[in-house]
Amino acid sequence: MTILRFPLSRIEGHARVEMEIQDGAVVSAQFQAIEMRGFRYFVQGTPAEQMPVIVPRICGVCSTAHHVASVKALENALDVKPPRLANEIRELLLLGQLIQNQATSLFIFTMPDRVGASSIFHMEDSEANPEQQLSLAQRALKVRQIGTKLITLAGGQFIHPVKAIIGGVTSGIKAEAAAQMLKEMQDTITIACELFDEYWDMSMAMRERIGTWGDDQPAYYIASTGRSKPEFNSDTIRVLGPNGNERASFPPRLFREFLDYEKTDYSFAGKSTYEGEVLRANSLARINLTKTMGTPCADYYLERLTAEFGKPAHPILLFDLCRGIELVYAFERAIEMLSKDLDYEDTSVPYSLKDGEGYGMVEAPRGPLIHHYIIENGLIAEAEFIIPTVHNMGAIERALKVAGERYITPQGINLELEKAVGRVVRAFDPCIACATQ
Amino acid sequence: MPDKKQLPKFAVLQLSGCAGCEVSLINANEWVDQYQLVYMPLVVSTASVPEDTEILLVSGGVRNDEDIYNLKKAVEKVDRVIAVGTCAISGGVSNLGDRDDVRQMFLAQSSRHHLPHLLPKSHPIDAFVDVDLYLPGCPPTPELFMAALIDPEGYEASGIVCVECGRKKLKDMRPQHLVGFQQGEVLPDICLINQGYLCVGSSTRGGCRAICTKPGHPCVGCRGPSDAYIEKESSVWFDRIQNVFERMTDIPPEEIKAALHSPQLSLFLFQFTDYSEGGRPPRPKDKVL
Repeated sequence: MTILRFPLSRIEGHARVEMEIQDGAVVSAQFQAIEMRGFRYFVQGTPAEQMPVIVPRICGVCSTAHHVASVKALENALDVKPPRLANEIRELLLLGQLIQNQATSLFIFTMPDRVGASSIFHMEDSEANPEQQLSLAQRALKVRQIGTKLITLAGGQFIHPVKAIIGGVTSGIKAEAAAQMLKEMQDTITIACELFDEYWDMSMAMRERIGTWGDDQPAYYIASTGRSKPEFNSDTIRVLGPNGNERASFPPRLFREFLDYEKTDYSFAGKSTYEGEVLRANSLARINLTKTMGTPCADYYLERLTAEFGKPAHPILLFDLCRGIELVYAFERAIEMLSKDLDYEDTSVPYSLKDGEGYGMVEAPRGPLIHHYIIENGLIAEAEFIIPTVHNMGAIERALKVAGERYITPQGINLELEKAVGRVVRAFDPCIACATQ
Repeated sequence: MPDKKQLPKFAVLQLSGCAGCEVSLINANEWVDQYQLVYMPLVVSTASVPEDTEILLVSGGVRNDEDIYNLKKAVEKVDRVIAVGTCAISGGVSNLGDRDDVRQMFLAQSSRHHLPHLLPKSHPIDAFVDVDLYLPGCPPTPELFMAALIDPEGYEASGIVCVECGRKKLKDMRPQHLVGFQQGEVLPDICLINQGYLCVGSSTRGGCRAICTKPGHPCVGCRGPSDAYIEKESSVWFDRIQNVFERMTDIPPEEIKAALHSPQLSLFLFQFTDYSEGGRPPRPKDKVL
């Protein structure tokens, strides 16, 4: 038996791929998450109110999603309903996260694959057009910084936000600060679109070169965004069948009735399935589910994607293009929101602690994220984190196997395989710190 | 534009952590034209730290035996090591698990066939290698990263978070009890201690721009103790915070004491040597940015 082991980079966290090959056939492809910190254990006994500040530290990439999901789980347990303005500010937080994440995945993680560079900071030896190269890194950093600035404005701290609290948020956004952010976003959205256009062209060129968009077998999709338009401060999970029909819709509280979870001995992360079928979460799942983005530029890109690939679309490298559509959407939606008053009412309601059980969900960049807490005497008795990357584990391994079968034959192993493994994993943008906590 | 290949090289090694420090670093862009980033698995695909690397930033704590190996291997190649963030300096949030019941759960899965062997607890990196500079924060701001990379000697931080916060301390507003970390409407411009919040900014190292307290969340001390306390035992730091609250509020001392030992604050308390690894000399303040 030949065992190939691929270290991974340009993803969040520590993971590797192991492929077993026998007589030119791929016997197995494993995605191994190799770190674990144990949040679900060590938060036991923590004062429940402190969770929203502790759990962002599960992951510095997805911290905002954890912050908001945590507050929602506590509110669910304590029967507290935040005021409308608090929800608007939480949506802005999640949009900031989306901008930061999608810009990172597109330009820092996956763009180098399209031009044969080791990173966006090492484009000088790549195939990218020399005029573009010079400014690629600076432009990409600028676009993702807008996401960070939006998180800071809506969430206080820039990596591990603090402003969402049980019952609301600590403060609204003053007109002057909103106007300043609005202006920066209006100045930067053009750069974001320009970079995405370049990214789209590079992707088409890569498709020409490698001759595939990757695993394009039909799959099931899971997302908690709205049917008619995107929604990130979400409350209902939906599962789509391979033909695009909605198969299930349920609140986070009922996830166990619809999703099966299986542990694996080779990874600190397990995997989940729906009726025994491989699931996919993240951008492509949302785009397959949502009719329109509801903002003009994002809808232009969405129509272009649908015209070219149909709906539901299945090839995995389209996850990357879908992230671009969402990047543009997040800019447009945040601009829309910042143009309105964000300081018009009290931003929180009072609450009192009691024993109980709560579920809180957001649509994180990687898919539906659920926090589940049991509170006893004001302390966390049990905590559970249902992580979107775990829904994708089966899909990642299936796509790795497809790539393996393409590049491994009885005659030998094509060196393109290593690159293909990187492209496959990055298309799913997995987050290992979250998946293993 | 200078020839990029002539620029000094730096590398970033991420051990067991959340990648928040890395995310903070790529929020800065000044380094792009001043340094070559030669190794940082989050954003660069290179197999290992190259030989002629000047600076190594290490984030995350040492949680498994692969972390120890990677750390020791990387440090050999570089001139200067900077420990970045609370986890690398003290074990950070993972140290919440440094208690018997949690340790048991870890030990139950510490040895699995395909996976790195988990250690019973998370260790700071200076338990294994020498560190030239400490950059605390959860995470440190991009400005602090730039100071550490480009001009650590020339960097002057405010002594404590209060200086950067600017909320007014009032003499006649004396709360009777703590209000928890989050409860209630936060009044703008007035010190959070006056409002009954357990804020430890009065003795926490400055340099963060008070990004938590300005929008209304109490400081949880993620940058660790200020120069006045960093070389002392943590009990001295506790006493100092206790004094501040006794002077500014009418909250019963026992209530303050209990709150100061709550898990959330202890996330960051492990900055102290007597918490993280017994018996080591204190980190000298001139090595902490």
